[in-house]
Amino acid sequence: MLVQKPSVISDEDFQKFREFFYRKTGMLFEDGKRYFVDKRLLERMAATDNESFRSYFTMLRFQASGAELQALINAMTVNETYFFREEYQFRCLVDSILREIVARRSSFRPIRIWSVPSSSGEEPYGIAIYLLEHWPLLEQWDVEIISSDIDTRILEQARNGLYAARAIQNMPGPLLKKYFRRVDGHYQISQSLREAVEFTRVNVHDTADMRSHRQFDVIFCRNLLIYFDDLSRKKTAESFFDALNPGGFICLGHSESMSRISSLFQIRRFPEAIVYQKPLEAR
Amino acid sequence: MALKKGQPTPACHSPGERQEPRNLETLLQTLLDEDPMKRRWAARDLAEHPAAAVALVTQLQHETDTTVLQVIVTSLGCMANDVAVRGLIDCLYSEHALRRNAAIEVLKELPEPVAPHMGQLLHDPDPDVRIFAVNVLESLRHPNVEEWLIEVILKDDQVNVCATALDLLGEVGSLRAREALQTLKQRFPQEPYIRFAADLALKRIGVG
Amino acid sequence: MKRILVIDDAATVRLYHREILEQAGFAVTEAINGLEALEKLETEGHFDLYLVDINMPKLDGYGFLKALREKNMPQAPAIMISTESSPRDREGALIAGANLYMIKPIRPEQLLPQVRGLLGEGDSS
Repeated sequence: MLVQKPSVISDEDFQKFREFFYRKTGMLFEDGKRYFVDKRLLERMAATDNESFRSYFTMLRFQASGAELQALINAMTVNETYFFREEYQFRCLVDSILREIVARRSSFRPIRIWSVPSSSGEEPYGIAIYLLEHWPLLEQWDVEIISSDIDTRILEQARNGLYAARAIQNMPGPLLKKYFRRVDGHYQISQSLREAVEFTRVNVHDTADMRSHRQFDVIFCRNLLIYFDDLSRKKTAESFFDALNPGGFICLGHSESMSRISSLFQIRRFPEAIVYQKPLEAR
Repeated sequence: MALKKGQPTPACHSPGERQEPRNLETLLQTLLDEDPMKRRWAARDLAEHPAAAVALVTQLQHETDTTVLQVIVTSLGCMANDVAVRGLIDCLYSEHALRRNAAIEVLKELPEPVAPHMGQLLHDPDPDVRIFAVNVLESLRHPNVEEWLIEVILKDDQVNVCATALDLLGEVGSLRAREALQTLKQRFPQEPYIRFAADLALKRIGVG
Repeated sequence: MKRILVIDDAATVRLYHREILEQAGFAVTEAINGLEALEKLETEGHFDLYLVDINMPKLDGYGFLKALREKNMPQAPAIMISTESSPRDREGALIAGANLYMIKPIRPEQLLPQVRGLLGEGDSS
């Protein structure tokens, strides 16, 4: 891939980069990740015609658009979507979060879950399947799953629920049989599930879009905020705060932390995961 | 009971609440509502009305609810017009730590509108304000950042202002900063921290 | 090995404190602000001592200490550090539950005896 001899990234460069990236994204690379980080950096340097780390780092820091930082985050995170990705959070949902929500619920109004971004639907459908399989209380409670994305084409894809083999790699055989049907070498999610999930177009930066989505008990927002600059990240988190019921929860991606974004939420540690909660007494 | 198709907002949602039009006039009124949630929504929506900057800045000085306060600061940051930026800069002088820290965080994200004020802030008589100013430089993607930092470490008498600048020079410093870094070590020969941080910066620049 | 949590938003300061403390035989974990420190408590359990900067974004040193003291976990000593030397800051730190208040920049020969003292290790080394 690299035509010219790659310039060496020194130990000091690595330290400097690591601190910067940690501050911007909250992702901290251990020394053992050095090879991986160097490789990605060299790729991005080549892609942007920077021959030295110094010139690349200057570009990264001072580029007003922040586009290169975004490209680099892409390179550093393996951002694939597939069913049951980061499954431990779904376990947390059924074993801990819903248990707590149900325990303090005084009426039988539906439990509402918002999955943003929907991408092509793996996450909201995955949550639906997880609830059906692992949450016996679904017999007593109504659950509504809303899922949103900014991209109308991807929303259309999500509504169709048609997946290549790669997306269902983690799906156990029996579940595949139960919730999917084969269509021309692809797998389509069952009609009843497609009808159970509501997909809407939302630009999280748009306050009107955000205002129209309310009263959620749980929000999944994984691997989205990490791509935003600090101010947009903060603004989005604040909008989520008002989209949640008091005591509602928000789940971020495994390399994301609300501690870097906003102090509005409380940190909650469940056996399966760390999640963030809108204080019960919040108004 | 089962999975049900839901709506973005439940139909039974607090009746009447969102009936009023969300124009500048009503939003300004709602900004003074006694319900903090309504104030938060008003503050958030007002980000799209540059004329509301004065009202947001005024509310920022009186706001007692910390959640509303944070949303106001974010909105002023999104607005980033002259009134908004001056309002945020005034918070640097606030005795209220949350207001001050929230403003610093947002100012860091506004390189263009903050840059014209930087010279003045870096020469403020209060060393704490100068430290805050250097903190603001941290995320400022602005070509003058290194020059400003060099000036700080050459001229500022307060060791902690210099220390804060040093932290950042370790990251953005280039060969241009070498002499200033060496001078700084001589200016504070008794401070191990300055020696440590200056040596680290020099090492990272590649001359240590 | 005694575990110390160093909480400061400045990377160089964290590194400086880490080097001093590690050379003296302590294990160091870092956090960039008070909120991240609270998250470390959740994921890594309690620490033997906290070295806390006062001025930090998101959650400052006072806020962190208040939250720490309200937690149902073994309480450990905390040293608060600030650039300000006003009596108000010192008083605020002690009211918030700090055992000691120190002014930046810190010198190793001041810090280490205090850390050892608070950890009940005396000043023998």
